[in-house]
Amino acid sequence: MSDSDLPVVLIVEDEPDVAETYKLWLQQEYEVRMAQNGDEGLEQLDADVDVVLLDRMMPGLSGDEVLERIRERDLGCRVAMVTAVEPDFDILEMGFDAYLSKPIRSEQLHETVDNLLDRSEYDSLLQEYYALVEKQATLEATKSSAELAESGQYDELTQRVTEMRDDLSETLGGIEDDSDFIATLRGLSDDEDN
Amino acid sequence: MKTTERQTMYDLTSVLEFDALSEVRPGSSILISGPAMSGKERLAYDILADGLDKGDGAVVVTTGDGAGSVVEEFRSLVPDLDDSQLGVIDCRGEGGTDEEAIGNAHTHHVSSPGDLTGIGIGITKALEGLHNAGNEQGRLALVSLSTMLTYTDKKTVFKFCHVLSSRLDSAGYIGVFTIDSGAHDDQTLQVIKQAFDGMIDVRDAEGGGREARVLGLAGEPTDWQDI
Repeated sequence: MSDSDLPVVLIVEDEPDVAETYKLWLQQEYEVRMAQNGDEGLEQLDADVDVVLLDRMMPGLSGDEVLERIRERDLGCRVAMVTAVEPDFDILEMGFDAYLSKPIRSEQLHETVDNLLDRSEYDSLLQEYYALVEKQATLEATKSSAELAESGQYDELTQRVTEMRDDLSETLGGIEDDSDFIATLRGLSDDEDN
Repeated sequence: MKTTERQTMYDLTSVLEFDALSEVRPGSSILISGPAMSGKERLAYDILADGLDKGDGAVVVTTGDGAGSVVEEFRSLVPDLDDSQLGVIDCRGEGGTDEEAIGNAHTHHVSSPGDLTGIGIGITKALEGLHNAGNEQGRLALVSLSTMLTYTDKKTVFKFCHVLSSRLDSAGYIGVFTIDSGAHDDQTLQVIKQAFDGMIDVRDAEGGGREARVLGLAGEPTDWQDI
């Protein structure tokens, strides 16, 4: 765990002024780490990092290469790529979770980081929901309806499944746009590989 | 599930005459379950063809038929079909696109039914294509979950269905997904069912023909009824 309970954001950006600006904007709400290039970024990266802000154009390792290594390490962090130009539609296929095109405004940066954290929350809720549904299905498949009707455990499970379902629809804000949708699906395939 | 405002309900009763299907809320996902050869795919396609007749867009995610033959199929189901109202995500992992067969339909090829990211990208592109072609609403069919379940585990398929449902919800679409009830154990079927808002059960009737019932969409499960 990190020292504070705040979510951890790692900024990988070669221009110090730009990096400092991001840090100023974020440091009230997040624990911020800074790296000046891709190699340093990979060094600073560990399981505590929730979101990486990754500049695409850097001397040395490019943002794309860093992204590839982050995915290889399978840390489950979310990556927002920072680009100088508006990327075309194929960004969906590139493996990052969000992108920001420069120049970035403060509120935009906050919104993106919050959105990525929401999505992690959605993933873990979905995971929890699945576990409940699986338990419920096991009971249904192995017990008679009379036994189920009398089972307090089943009753409680059913109630929790319903509650969880509502919680999930409330967290769906994170999945409304296309890159959220694709990134969430990519996360499912990654989970399966583990 | 979240309610989507300002959109009209979907009326599926011209395909299946059940009151429970007269006002299906945008964003609903329906599982079509039944044994092999019981007309599940036919039913899913009929629901989409009915939508095309009424001006809805249609998206087909197919694990069995090629994009070309799906487009051909819809041309025969909907005589005055405008290809641009149709999107097909072909997950067979076989290359070779017959450009002529596809016409103006929005098609996308995915390497395998287990490539969920690829399927998602295809759906995204199809939804965008249909939106640009002026479709405010539409219907999506995924045929079939049983094939997907042979490529990936039930947990992943469950999550995929959930995530896709929420995407359909924000698009105001409805989705129909087919599953072969004879190909999976009870526990798997129970799990998959939970990812849906409702279910249409189909089976062969004792005296020949087929019957169906609707569960979970409005009120109590319906009785079995000839279709």
